[in-house]
This record gives sequence, structure tokens and C-alpha cells, in this order.
Amino acid sequence: MSRTPTALLADDEPLLREHLATLLGRLWPELEVVAQARNGREAVELFERHAPDVAFLDIHMPGVNGVEAARAIGRRAQVVFVTAYDQYAVQAFEQGAIDYVVKPFDAQRLEDTVQRLRERFERAPAPAAGSADGGAALDPAVDALPQGRPAGLQWIKASVGNSVRLIPVEQVHYLRADEKYTLVAWEGGEALIRRSIRELADELDPQRFVQIHRSTIVNLHQVQQVIRGPNETAEVQLKGRPELLSVSRSYLHLFRQM
Amino acid sequence: MHSAPSLPATSWLSGLSRQRIVTAIVLGIVVGLMLNPIFITPLLELMARTVVLSLLLMLAYTMAGNWRQGRVPVWVVQLITVCLAAPLGTFAVYVASTGGDLAAFLGNEYRIAGFAWIAGTAIGVGVLFALGAMVREREALAQAQRLQFELERTTLERQALDAQLRMLRAQIEPHFLFNTLANVQALVESGSPRAAPVLSSLIAYLRAAMPKLRADDGTLGDELQLVRAYLELMHLRMPDRLEIALDVPTPLQRVRFPSMAVLTLVENAVRHGIDPSERGGRIEVGARRDGDTLRVWVADSGVGLDPSAVPGLGLANLRQRLSALYGTAGRLELSEAPGGGLRAEIAIPAAAETP
Repeated sequence: MSRTPTALLADDEPLLREHLATLLGRLWPELEVVAQARNGREAVELFERHAPDVAFLDIHMPGVNGVEAARAIGRRAQVVFVTAYDQYAVQAFEQGAIDYVVKPFDAQRLEDTVQRLRERFERAPAPAAGSADGGAALDPAVDALPQGRPAGLQWIKASVGNSVRLIPVEQVHYLRADEKYTLVAWEGGEALIRRSIRELADELDPQRFVQIHRSTIVNLHQVQQVIRGPNETAEVQLKGRPELLSVSRSYLHLFRQM
Repeated sequence: MHSAPSLPATSWLSGLSRQRIVTAIVLGIVVGLMLNPIFITPLLELMARTVVLSLLLMLAYTMAGNWRQGRVPVWVVQLITVCLAAPLGTFAVYVASTGGDLAAFLGNEYRIAGFAWIAGTAIGVGVLFALGAMVREREALAQAQRLQFELERTTLERQALDAQLRMLRAQIEPHFLFNTLANVQALVESGSPRAAPVLSSLIAYLRAAMPKLRADDGTLGDELQLVRAYLELMHLRMPDRLEIALDVPTPLQRVRFPSMAVLTLVENAVRHGIDPSERGGRIEVGARRDGDTLRVWVADSGVGLDPSAVPGLGLANLRQRLSALYGTAGRLELSEAPGGGLRAEIAIPAAAETP
């Protein structure tokens, strides 16, 4: 029994999709490209609709990326990754035993890939349909991709004039509670934001931002000096600022000699 | 925990140096020798008194200098302390030398006269030396500030140089280069007439982005050409997702401008604003002279900034270069673009001849 092999191509760059389709047409004339997707989400949708035998997936795509799309497809198709130089992606391939081609395409390399696909297709024309549990093989590959590790709050949004400024937290000198609001003092000025100091304290990197008073948080990187006063009190002076911020007794241990 | 400054352990005695102690002892000996002719007390005993007194006054002076309060200037406190400590100290020394017998001291008119002489001399010499010490302290402070300033200046220069080097090194991203080349390959192999202009854009971009030996800055117009070359390449790659609008008034294009500054912002707008978005968006580059300030901005309508996104090196480098070149007048400010997305604005001082 012979059946026409079908393929899905996914790449966010239209010229590259066309180019791959052209090259495949030359190297594997029987292959029918049944769908072209512009991103990972479309790739999965079109896969469900057309159930192609092969899926060529670009790794770097907006929204759902190629590796995530491959996981959704599982073993229902032969997946070939397509990518430009990308060290993480290469790492990912090394862990999942799946073929890949790099952009710009090398005709010889692409021919090898086509050869391998053809052999598999001739041996088992209809891949195990319906088994979506093959994603497990890809899991280590997915784990190898750079994940957005939460590193705490990095930017503070504050209304200045009629724009919403994004202040990098390293520029922040201190935060002070002001009723329902919080005063943010940074290199570029001061602004009130509509968030409570407790909320901010939870989100900021505790290595850098410490509470010195019920209503005050300072950026340790901006501390100029700590002045000890009588009766177990101290005040913090920040770089380039005149005001002194008082340290309450319960936070004084932060500034003891280490 | 790191970088938490710690309190000095002996704050009342800070500033007490070996030099101060030696000076006080020598001063005590000299005063003792000078007063010797008018005293019947043996020289050694007299010198012991003056040396002890001199040390006492020096200690009082040092401690007064470390008294933290905001109302009276430190030097006034120090002078008053010396004036008060001189008679009190002398009195204490005399009482001690008579074994604590107050009546023996008060009943002896020679001792009273001696007390007056020593106290008077102590006030005179003490105030004189206190003033001298203050002048020296002030000079030392000024010297320290000069050194500090010098250090900061060289640090800034070094940081500017580092930032420049990092920028030159980190410019061309392999991912960008190979993807663009793949597009060129596609155009060439399909015989497209667009291949030639696209190659020109790539060459213009590479030439500008290559590390240069002389990294001096060009004009805003030069920078804009580079930005246009880059955006045209990106538009070729994502024609359905990227819209471009460049609008910089011609007179402003002649202004000198730090190279790669706008490109860094535009690359960020593509990488973090447009590229992650399925529907894409628009990038606008504009410039305007605003009084003494030249403002150049890049606004995109992409996905906007995630408050937990770790700031990239590109922006940090750019910020450092601007502050090294223009001090506090060179700024990079990020804000939310009106319809979502991000707006980044560079502000630098506009030269006087700027139109």
C-alpha cells in the first residue's frame, strides 16, 4: 500500500517557510506540504486538522515555541527541528533523539534528513496514530531550554507626569510607606505608586532590598553610611541624598558588625 | 548578606592617632619647661602635671569632635570643651597631686597661683593648638575629597571605556546573523530581485556594527542609517508582523550622537517587544529638541515589559555610556507606551549650535 507522505512547516519568517518548501519539493517530490504555520500555536492547530506525517518546526517562534509545539504533537509525527544558531536549542536536540537542520540550509545536510525520513516512512507508513504520550521523550529537552527563572521584581511602574515610567530596581534608593501609597525615591526623582510596601517587600530581591523600619525599605547597594545614634538607634544615609532614614530597633541587627 | 556597612566600634575616640598623643606629650613637656622658672615645684613634677593636662585636653578635644548633634557646629563645641577642660583639668591635677586634700590645695597661695598660671597657659596653648588641629583636619578632609573626586573621575572614565568595549564586543548576535543570511539565501536561490538591496542593507549593518578601532561617535543621521538598515532587514524577515516609522527632523540629523545608542534601543524593541508577539507591532523612532535637551526615542507597540524581566546588559551599558559622556544630563528613561508596549527615550544636552 502506498500513501502520499504529508508535511507541516512552521516558521515565523515567511521567506524561510517558502524556501524550505521549495527545497523539500526538489529533494522529496512526493512529499506534500499540507500546511504552513506562522507560530507554535498555529502549528499545533494545523497539525490537529491535517495530521501530517512530518512536522518541520522552527524553534524560535512567538508565543508557543517549536519545542513546546513538538511536545503537543508527541509521537504522532516525525518532528524535525529547524533553527538558526542557538546554543540552547542544540543542547535540546542532543537530549531528545530527534533530527534537526540549521539555517541557512545546507542542501547536503537537508538531503540526509530527507533520506532518514523516507526510510522511516517506508518502514512504517502510518506512524502510531493517536498516541500523544510520546512527549515524555522530549521533556529533558524542554527542561534544557532557558526558563524564565523568577528573579524578583526588576522594574517598578510609577506614574510620572502623564506617562508610566519603568524604573529599574537597581536605581531605586528607598521606598517609604505613605498611607495607601508607597513613595519610590530613585536616581531620577520621586513618585507615589499605588501599591503597599508589604506587597513590594514580598516581591523585591531580599539580598538587595532590606526593611529598616516598619515603613521603610532601602536598597543596600545605595547605602552610603550608617550613623549610630544614642540608645540603640541608627540612621541610614544613601548615596547622593541628604535625608537620613531611621532604622528601628528591631532591624538594627542588619547593620551590626559582621 | 553583603555590603551592609558596619558601625565603627570606638566612635567616641575616632581620630585619636599616635601623632596626636605624641604631639600632646611634647607640648606638655615644652610648656612644663617654659613655666619652670616661675615655679618652685621640681621640674619633673611640674612636667608631669603639664603632660597629664595636655593629654586630658587632647582627649577632650577628640571626644568633642565625635559628639554627633545637629545644633552647634563641631568646631565651636571643640573650642568650648577645651576652654572648660583647661581649668577643670588643672584643678583635678592639683587636687590629685595633693592626694585629694582640697583644703591643703585651697589654703596654699602658691598652689593657687600655680593653678592660675597653668590653667591660663592651658587655655591659651590649648585653644591655639585646637585651632591648628582644626585647620589641619580641614586640609586633610579637602585632600581626601580631592582624592575621592579624582578616584571617581578615573572610575567613571574606566567604566565608560569598559562599556564601550563591551558594546563593541557584544554587538552582532549570531542568531540574528544566521537567520538574516538564511533569508538572503532564500532570495538568492529563488532569483528574487530583492536579493541585491537586502544584501546592501546587511552590508551596511555589518559595517556599522563591526568593532571599530576608532570608536568615535558620528551624527544622529549616521545612526539613523544604521537603524534603517537593521529595521529593513527585520521587516524582510517578518513582513506581516513589523511596521516601521522613522521620523527625525533633518536639522537634528547633523547633531553628534553616541554611536549604536539608538540601535541598541531598536534591537531591544524588536527582540523584547515585537518578536515575542504573534500579531507583531509597530516601531517608531523620533527625535525632538526640547530647550537645552535633545530627546531621541524608540517606541514599540509590542508585548511591553514584564516587571520581573531581568534588565539586559545592552541597556545597562548604554546608561553607563550616557552618564560617562554627559553626567546627569545624559539619561535613558523607559516608560509604558500609550497603547501598551514600551517607549525608551534618550536625553542628552543639546549643543548650542543645534538647530
